[in-house]
This record gives sequence, C-alpha cells and structure tokens, in this order.
Amino acid sequence: MDELLYNLKLQIIDALNLEDMTPEDIDDDAPLFGDGLGLDSIDALELIVILDKHYGIKLASPAQGKEVFKSINCIADYIRKNRSK
Amino acid sequence: MDGTISINGMGIVCAIGGDRQAVLDSLLRKESGIGPMQYLPSRHRDIPVGEVKMSTGQMKRLLGIADDAQVSRTSVMGALAVREALAQAGLDAASLAGKRVALISGTTVGVMDVTEQVYGKTEEGVEVPQGNECGRSTEEIAAFSGLGGASCCTICTACSSALNAIMLGCEMLKNDEADLVVAGGSEPLSRYHLNGFNSLMILDRQRCRPFDDSREGLNLGEGAAFVVLEKDAPEGLAYIGGYANRCDAFHQTATSKDGDGAFLAMRDALKMAGIGPEKIGYINAHGTGTPDNDASESAAFRRVFGDTIPDMSSTKSYTGHTTSASGAVETVICVLAMQNGFVPASLGWSRMIPGGFAPTMGRTGVCLDYVMCNSFGFGGNDSSMILCRKRPAPAPVPLRDAAQVRLVARRSVCSDEELSALKEFLSPMETRRMGKIMKASLLSAFLALRDRGLSCPDAIVTATSRGMLECSTLFLEDIAANDEQLLKPTLFMQSTHNTIGSAIAIRTGCHGYNITYSQGDRSLEWAVRDAAMRLRTGEARNVLVCAFDETLSGGRTAQFAAESRIYTLEES
Repeated sequence: MDELLYNLKLQIIDALNLEDMTPEDIDDDAPLFGDGLGLDSIDALELIVILDKHYGIKLASPAQGKEVFKSINCIADYIRKNRSK
Repeated sequence: MDGTISINGMGIVCAIGGDRQAVLDSLLRKESGIGPMQYLPSRHRDIPVGEVKMSTGQMKRLLGIADDAQVSRTSVMGALAVREALAQAGLDAASLAGKRVALISGTTVGVMDVTEQVYGKTEEGVEVPQGNECGRSTEEIAAFSGLGGASCCTICTACSSALNAIMLGCEMLKNDEADLVVAGGSEPLSRYHLNGFNSLMILDRQRCRPFDDSREGLNLGEGAAFVVLEKDAPEGLAYIGGYANRCDAFHQTATSKDGDGAFLAMRDALKMAGIGPEKIGYINAHGTGTPDNDASESAAFRRVFGDTIPDMSSTKSYTGHTTSASGAVETVICVLAMQNGFVPASLGWSRMIPGGFAPTMGRTGVCLDYVMCNSFGFGGNDSSMILCRKRPAPAPVPLRDAAQVRLVARRSVCSDEELSALKEFLSPMETRRMGKIMKASLLSAFLALRDRGLSCPDAIVTATSRGMLECSTLFLEDIAANDEQLLKPTLFMQSTHNTIGSAIAIRTGCHGYNITYSQGDRSLEWAVRDAAMRLRTGEARNVLVCAFDETLSGGRTAQFAAESRIYTLEES
C-alpha cells in the first residue's frame, strides 16, 4: 500500500477510534460517509484536524470537507496537491 | 386558587446590561453587546464574544465577597441576577421564612471556569474542583443571594438548561413541592467551551447573523437570569401559559433536517397553553446563527405556523449565545417586550435563507398578549415556552396519587466484565467513541427496558454528580497540551452532562421529555422526584431514570457505576 494511504488510514483509525480496524479493512475508493464506512459530522471535524495537524492543510468549513472526504483516495489526492508539511 | 403560575420578579446580567433597565435600554436602542474579548484569558482573541462588562472581582465586590475567595463567575453572575429578581418581587429573608423555597439553576460550565484556571497547576493536598461540579455553583448562588435556606437544584441540558429550570419550577409549584421558586440559569464564558465550540467549527469570526443566508455560526455570550415564580399570586409581571420539553433524538450535535424536536416542543407548548399558533405575537427564536440550527428551526416554524409566521427574532444577536443561561435571559427579554410593548429586532440580518423566514427588524407600540420562547440544546434537548401578558384561563391538571408511583425495573452496571454484553444492543461502530461510563449507562438502560418489555420509554431523566468526568478531563488536558489549538471535537461533544440522556433517546427513538440533574449526591433524588411528577401529571406512562458517575485515576476512568430504573403508575 502507498505510504501516504497507509499513514492516512492509521491516523484516521486513531482519531476516529475505529478500534477493531486495520488499514487493510478500509477500501481506498469506498464512500466514507453514509452507506460506506458510516462516518458522521463529528468524524468530518476530526478529519479536518488530521489534515491540519499532519499535513498543514486548513479547511475553512465542514462544507468544504464534503468534497474532499468522499473516499480515502479523494483525501490522499487533496493532500498531495495541497500539503505544506 | 386557579393554579396559575406567574413571574413576580426578574433579574438579569448579560452583555447588554447588568440589570433589567440596562438590558431594556440596549434592546430599544438596538445596541449589541458583542465585541472583542476583554475578560476571558484565551488565545483566541480574534473570536468576538458577548461578555458581561465586569470582571469577576468587580462582581464579587458588588456582592461583598472577599477578594481572595475562590468563586466561580457562574456563581457571582447568578447571585446578582437572583438578588435583582428577589428585590423586584419584594422578597427578603423575613418574608421567605417558613416557606418552602427552591432555587433551580441551569448551567453546564458550572465551576469549570475555576477548574480550568487551576488545572495542572496545583500542589498536592490543595482541594480543587473536578470538572464542572455544576451543583456547587447553584449552592454558591443561594449563599451569595440570601437564599441560604433554599433547596438547590441544577439542570444540565446544555443550551436549554435554563428554560428547563423554569419549567421545572412551574411543575414543582403545580405539584405542591414548593411554595416559591427562583429559577433560571447562569453561564460564564470559559476557555473550555469556547474551545469546544471552536472545535465544532460553529463560531463566527464576525458578528453572528441569525437566519441570514450568509451566517457562519454563533458568537458565545455569557450571563445569568432568574425569575421568581409563584402559584395563585394575585397578579404577576407575566404568566406562564404552557411549555414542553421534547427530544430531537437524532444526533449529539447535529439537528434533524425538519427540526423534529423543535416542532414537537413548540406544538406541545401551544397545546398546554390551549391556544392556536395564530395567537402568538412574537417568537424569541433559539436562532444561534449556525447553518444547522437556523435551517432546522425555520423548517420547524413552517410545520407549526405554516407559510406566515409572527414577528420573530433572535436576541442572541445582542447578547451572544449565553448557552445554558439563554432560556432565562430570553424569558426575561420576552417579558420586558410584553411589558413595554415592543418587538426586539434581529440584528445582522440582510438576506433570506432559501425557503426560510425573514426575522423582524423590530417594532414599537405593539401589544403582545402571547410570546413564544425557544431554547434548544446539544443532544436535541429542545424546549419551548409560551408567556402571557394577561392571566390565562385556568387549566387545572388533575394529579394522580403519589402513592401509585411504582419502581418496576432496576439494573446496574459497574464492572468491565459486564460491559461486553453491550454487543447485544450496539455495533462496534456505534460504541467506538464511548467511554466506560457511557457504555455502562446505555447497557443498564437497555437491560432495564428489556426487563419491562419496553423498547422506548415515554420520558428519560438522568442524574449525575460530576458528569462525564473522563471526557471533560481529557479535553482540559487537550486544551493545556495543545495551547487551545487543533483540539478533538469528539471529546467536547461527549462532555456535557446530558450526553447520556440524549444518547439513550437517540438509541431508543424517544422524542419525549428528557432532562438531566446534577446536584451532588442529591442528583438521583431529584431525578426520582421528577419521574414521579411526570407520572402524576400524566405526561408519561413510564419514565426511565438513569444515574451514573465515575472516578478518575491518572485522568482515566477508574471506577464507574450506572443504574437505570423504570417507574410507572399503578392504575387503581
């Protein structure tokens, strides 16, 4: 697995308390919200913290996150294009 | 003796004034009290707030409290408001002697403003508060305002706390549990909840714009307000027409799209008042200015009032969102509006939310016979109250016999081994954020309900002395360790005392009455008393009471205990 994807999944598992999951359990293209992994609005805020803390990316609002947080691959693409650390 | 509940005194301290007259003047001049931070020692100086324009020390001096006494801002603001309310009602120690007096306060910050100042800085052996200890602030308010003999009670339903406190006062008078009630709420700004709301990304960096299409969040405010409530008084400043406390049962921090909880609260408050929505002359909306609240409250307005609504405004555009105190601050504002014949303007509004409603820009020279005051809290604890200018027609509620109240199920959970049974009821995805105290409470509730053959109770009453101690301590630690930046919203959203009551409602789909008590080791006693009142008035056929508390070791849960009980009424 791509190192960025792997680390990102570990960060998500930790921040979202997905205790019983491993990076392999999370599909790169599956939806994270709604019918996919089933995350909610609080998880979206935790993802915003991850982007800021680990990649130096600041999102202005949860609404902006909706586009970025569609899947693991979407987040990874956004990180590659916008990261400052 | 028609059973009418009247408001006979009011006191208020908030960003637009330190007493009733100052608040009235600011409302009439359309002057907001929201501005740059002056008193709260936070690094977030860019966030506008609605502060009371006095330091805690200045308020202590007004109350004659020694400078070196470690006293919460919650307590001094509350005591100033209670004093003003008692004075207006013409009450003092002599006139209160021999009466059963209750002081009911809504707060969630409690003494957290003191805790956060001393957190991590104290020497061993020095007594410091743990977490919010909400009940302690109410006892201090009683002591500083000449109500030393009052029975103290604290309601913690986040932003609807104070309105629920006033409702509880009405219920106690109706159930003959008190002769006189002073009810309201007090909430200071704290770094704790400023950072919490900031982590939820719902604080506007500009002045808030409730119901405006460009709104980006709320401005936190602070304040205290209390009212003196009496039954069968010859006349009052205003009268309580009706009220309802309902639960959205949707999500801990988000609101349902159609505002289910808000709709039910407004509908049932009107029902108790015995009036149609067309009678309402003014709505003091919850109107926080967050995208979520204002959209769902608007949807709920449409369900109650149709396409045309009465004059509506959010006075949080003046005071900021005074969170747990807001229900009382806005009740006092509603009564001032009725007494002085004006409708307060909604400041900062210019553009309609698509499909929403335009708030009023203010009117004077009006006669308001009925006004509605809304207060909604985290966890979907939604309440609405109808206030009347004239004495309403009597609507006596027959009370069932107290001797018919029965405890019919009781389950406790207090060990790690027992928690594994929660798997029967919830998936790992659902329990992933939960600490032990939350798991134990939910499990005890599910087991007690199952013993009784119920899937959803009619009402939920929870009780806790110190609330979500682990979560709130972890968030305090997060604030200290990360210098108020990039904090975990997951910790904050689970740290209010009503988190467990609303989690039970969400999991059981209970939209009925939902309240949380925190009064030290008397918390459970108050909860059981409330359950009996629900059953006696017929509001509920069964009530789930859940009491919980935990102790910490090294910042993490050490011991925990939760007990759920089901009470019903034995039919004679």
